[in-house]
Amino acid sequence: MGKLIKYELRKQRTSRMVIFIALAVALVCFWAGIAFNSGGLAGISIAAMMLGAVFVLFYTGIEGILVFNRDLRTKQSYMLWMLPRSIWEILGAKFISAILQMLIVFGVSCAAVAVSTAGAVLTIGGLSEFLEMIRTMSKSFVQGGLDWGDLISMAFLMFLVWTLVIMTGFLAVILARTVLIKSRFVGLLAVLLFFVIDFAVARVYDLMCMIPFVEAANRVEALGWSVWDVIYYVIVCLALFGVSGVLAEKKLSV
Amino acid sequence: MMLECRELTKWFGSKEAVADLTLNLDKGKIYGLLGENGSGKTTWMKMVAGLTKPGRGEILYEGHPIGWRDKAKIAYMATEPFFYDFMKVSDVGEYYEAFFEDFDRRKYTETVSAMGLEPGMKVRNLSSGMSAKLKLAATLSRNAELYLLDEPLNGIDYKAREEIIGLILEEANGENTFVISTHLLEEVESFIEYAIFIKDGHLADKVNLESERMKSGRSLTELYTDIL
Repeated sequence: MGKLIKYELRKQRTSRMVIFIALAVALVCFWAGIAFNSGGLAGISIAAMMLGAVFVLFYTGIEGILVFNRDLRTKQSYMLWMLPRSIWEILGAKFISAILQMLIVFGVSCAAVAVSTAGAVLTIGGLSEFLEMIRTMSKSFVQGGLDWGDLISMAFLMFLVWTLVIMTGFLAVILARTVLIKSRFVGLLAVLLFFVIDFAVARVYDLMCMIPFVEAANRVEALGWSVWDVIYYVIVCLALFGVSGVLAEKKLSV
Repeated sequence: MMLECRELTKWFGSKEAVADLTLNLDKGKIYGLLGENGSGKTTWMKMVAGLTKPGRGEILYEGHPIGWRDKAKIAYMATEPFFYDFMKVSDVGEYYEAFFEDFDRRKYTETVSAMGLEPGMKVRNLSSGMSAKLKLAATLSRNAELYLLDEPLNGIDYKAREEIIGLILEEANGENTFVISTHLLEEVESFIEYAIFIKDGHLADKVNLESERMKSGRSLTELYTDIL
């Protein structure tokens, strides 16, 4: 599977490079702002980096779905589907590489923001102020009812929710290329299906929350979710993957 | 029997691209797959290569229903260019080596060089002729059991055609099977052993050319005209 993932990641290399170049430009602008005492330039640069981090997270996820769609529509699809690999391995590699791409660009963007913030505090306020900021931040997390474990689990939940969105997109694409292939408005139907599946997943989640033992489950106060949320998203992700795989196995022609 | 297709059918909308096609291929033979444009040759090949799912019927490879593992023994070459845009000629070899155990990298390097291709050339910048040569070099550098070549001589100049036919004959060792789809009857007549004629998705006829020559003396072109 590693080899499949390697080639899948290469397909999104150009967008990765564009994002990294944009990030590098923002970093240069930020440090130029610091060096020339231009608070405006530094502020705009770091704001752009922070907004960019969120944007690339969403963009690369959507791009993963678009690449998958292209892989099923063009002759380049033969490169993947002629390989002696099971449909599960191919789809698994696609899912993993889509997630990896998101994590890589999001991680690098967050690191750039963190380094810039730390650098700015150190430059402007010195080491003692930086350490004080870390202490204050840690304290505020504890006072707010959050600890590092909560933060990690929150990140994990966000990751699961976004994985769910990508898997929904992949399933919509597979449905469009299999059972809906004869339709004239296949592209539009795929988009509609995406929202229908997303809506259904949200409604089932609401129903699940009405089950007494789920409702009574110990929720993380500041975040408002419980372990059942995680279980639900994992099950739905696996179910979407399963349905995508079975459909591809039985019906998919490239 | 290497490959058995039983009542194979494939629809594209209301059009029946392949219709109740029953066809058997033996090991070690060279088959010519002949028919007009849109007769179902490519669809049949894609079904055997595992790229397209049959609507009905079944394909048996060496006695078992064909599956993804059999793709390790089947080398398919499509008519259209299909390599990734970001690849160079050397990347194609690296890709095939990574995924096909029967791929011979040394042979690939020698073949692309003999065909005038440089390892650093970008796939997306190749002319149609060069692209066709690259597809063939990659496909024929596998030591597969079954080769499915969809119009391998399309877009290839006369001199290169000779080279390609030479390569195919070099590969055909009596152990592997070749199915070559083509419209260039004169080019393949000298070396194909059986001609499979497809018309409107149906098997029109399967002819042993040597026996036919002995019996009626008809050339492949004459057979084509008579049958189709």
